[in-house]
Amino acid sequence: MLQIESVERSQWLSILRTMVRARLTEERLIRLYHQGKIFGGVYTGIGQEAIGAATTGAAQAQDLFAPCIRSMTVHLGRGTTVLGVFRQYLGRVTGPTGGRDGNVHYGNLEAGVYTMISHLGAMLPVIVGGVMARRRRGQDAVGIAYIGDGGTSTGDFHEAVNFAAVFNVPVVFLIENNKFAYSTPISEQFKCERLIDRASGYGIEGYEADGNDAVTLYFLTSEILERLRREPKPLLLECDTLRMRGHGEHDAASYIPESLMDTYKIRDPIEVMKKRLIETDVATEAELDAIANECRSEVNTAYQQALAEPRPDPGTLLDGVYANA
Amino acid sequence: MRMHEITYLDGICQCLRQLLGEDDDVIIYGQDVGAFGGAFKATLGLQEEFGKDRVFDTPISESAMLGTAIGLATQGFRPIVEMQFLDFMTNALHHVLNNAGTMHYRTGTAVPITVRAPCGGGFGGGPFHSEELESIFCHMPGIKVLYPAFPSDARGLLHSGVTDPNPVIYLENKYLYRHVKELVPDKFEPIPIGVARICRPGKDAVIITYGAMVHESLKAAEQAVNHDHDVMVMDLRTLKPYDADAIIGAVAVTNRVLVVHEGWRSCGFGAELAAMIVERGFHLLDAPIYRVTAPDSPVPFAPELEDAYRPNHNKILQALIELIEY
Repeated sequence: MLQIESVERSQWLSILRTMVRARLTEERLIRLYHQGKIFGGVYTGIGQEAIGAATTGAAQAQDLFAPCIRSMTVHLGRGTTVLGVFRQYLGRVTGPTGGRDGNVHYGNLEAGVYTMISHLGAMLPVIVGGVMARRRRGQDAVGIAYIGDGGTSTGDFHEAVNFAAVFNVPVVFLIENNKFAYSTPISEQFKCERLIDRASGYGIEGYEADGNDAVTLYFLTSEILERLRREPKPLLLECDTLRMRGHGEHDAASYIPESLMDTYKIRDPIEVMKKRLIETDVATEAELDAIANECRSEVNTAYQQALAEPRPDPGTLLDGVYANA
Repeated sequence: MRMHEITYLDGICQCLRQLLGEDDDVIIYGQDVGAFGGAFKATLGLQEEFGKDRVFDTPISESAMLGTAIGLATQGFRPIVEMQFLDFMTNALHHVLNNAGTMHYRTGTAVPITVRAPCGGGFGGGPFHSEELESIFCHMPGIKVLYPAFPSDARGLLHSGVTDPNPVIYLENKYLYRHVKELVPDKFEPIPIGVARICRPGKDAVIITYGAMVHESLKAAEQAVNHDHDVMVMDLRTLKPYDADAIIGAVAVTNRVLVVHEGWRSCGFGAELAAMIVERGFHLLDAPIYRVTAPDSPVPFAPELEDAYRPNHNKILQALIELIEY
C-alpha cells in the first residue's frame, strides 16, 4: 500500500479542492434550476466527485479525456473554470459552447477534454481516435473515457473497447457504476457479476476500485497510466459509487432505495478524503475549512458574473455550421 | 496536355494515391482496404506503397470507424474511411449527424473526415448492397455530400472533399466503377465543391440529376433527338451544398424540369430540388416538375424486379416526352 506521504501535499489539496469546487458549483446549479434561472436541465455528479478529481490528478498534460454526465470534476480538474461552467448552464455567449449547447455538453480540447454528445458511448471511439492521433505524433498520451454502468450496454462501448484492443490504444474505459441508468437498476441492465468480467472477452485487463475514495483511486490510476504509457493497450476500470441525486434535477430518484442511499451517504467522497488527510496529518481541519471557504467565494462570484453576462444574438444562429475552407 | 484513359474506379484510386503522397496526415482505413485493396479494389496497392501505418484494415465496426475518424480529425489528421457499402453506414449514422455534423457548431472544432461510401444498384445486390441514401445525409446540418458521375469528377471531387475542413460524405456509384471511362489529363486537377456541370446543352427541357442516372439521362436525351426534342442534362456533382444558381439558370433556359435520381421518391433529393425551383423559379416554369425516381420499396434482388425498380433511360425518355408535350 502506497503511503499518502509519498505524494506532494499540494497534489492532495488540489484533488480535494476540485471536489469541493464541483460540489459547491453543482449545489448552486441546483438552486438556480429551482429558481427557474436555468433553461433546460441540470445533471450533477454529486457523490461521484472523487472519480474525476483523482483520475485527472493522476494524468499528464498530453492526455485526453472523454467526460460523461457526472464528470464535473473532470472538467474542473482539467482547468475549466467555475465561471465557464455557469456560463455553459446559463447559455451565455461567453461560455464554452456560446449557447449552442447546454449543461454537460462542453469540453476544452486545448486541455484535452472532448465535448460529449448525449448518445451514451458515442465519445468512446472518438477518444480512441484522439489517442491514436497523439501517439502517431509521438506524444506519450493516454486517454481516460468515462462511462456509466448504463452506457456499457451500448454498441459503441463494445466497438470502441474492441477497436482500442485491436490497435493497442492506451485508453482507460472508466465505468462509473453508480447503480442506475436513469431509473433502471443494474440488475436489469446486465447479467455479468462485475462489468470488468467483460475485459477478458476483449483480451484486456480489468480493475475494480472504490469510486468514493479519491486517495486510493489516485494511486491506482497513477500506476495504471504509467503502465499504459510503457505498454500501450486499453483496460477497464470499474469504480463503485452511487448517484446521490436523480438523473437530473427534474427527477427525485424515488427508485433509489433509502437504505442504499444511507450506505453511500456515510461514504461521501469529500468527507472520506477530508478525514484521510486530517488523520494522516496532511492537512488540518482549519486548512480544509479555509479551502472550502475560498471555493464558496469563487462559486458565488462566478454565478453572479455569469448571470450578468450577455445571451447569444439570434442573428448568429447560422454561424459556424460549417468550418470555413 | 498529356491525357490518359481511366475508369471511375481508377479516378478514385488515383486521387487516394495523390492525397497520401501530398499530405502525411491523410490516412485511409476501413474493412479489407489494406493488402486486399478493398471490396472493389479502390485502395489496391496503396498499403504496399504507403505502409500499414497509413492504410489499414479495421474490425467490422462501422460506428467505431467513424468515431475514431472524428477523434483523429480533431487532432489534425485527415482520415478517409471506406464504408464497404453505403448501406452499412446506417450502423453509424449518429456519428455523422450528431457527432461530426454538430461539432464545429457547438465547439468550434473542425472535423475534416471523408467517408467514401459505395452506393447504388443495377447489379443484383439486393436490399442491403444497393441503397442510395444521399437524401439522409443531405438532410443533416454540417455535412457536405459529393456524388461524382464521371472519372474526372471522381478524381477531382474526392480531392476537394478530403482537403475540405468539414465532414464529407463521398458517394461513389458501384455501377459506374468499371462501366464509365474517360480521357483525363495526366496533371491532377481538383474539382470545386458546390459547382454543377451541364453535360449536354439543350433548350426544350433540363434533366437535373447525379450519379449513375447522369448516364441514363444522357442516353435518354440522345434518344429524345429522334422525337425532335433538345434536352439539357445537368450533373449536380455536389448535393450539399448544391448549385442552386446553376439550376435556376438552366430552368430559365428550358422552362421545363425533370429530376432524376436512383434513390427513393418520398422525401428524396428530388423533392428538395423541386421545392427550391418552385420557390425561386415558379415564374420560369411552363410545366409541372416531373420526377423519375425509384419507388418507395426496398431494393429488390431479382433482375426483373430490379429493372422495374431502378430508373433507366427508357423511363426517363417517357417522362421527358410527357414533360415536353405538357
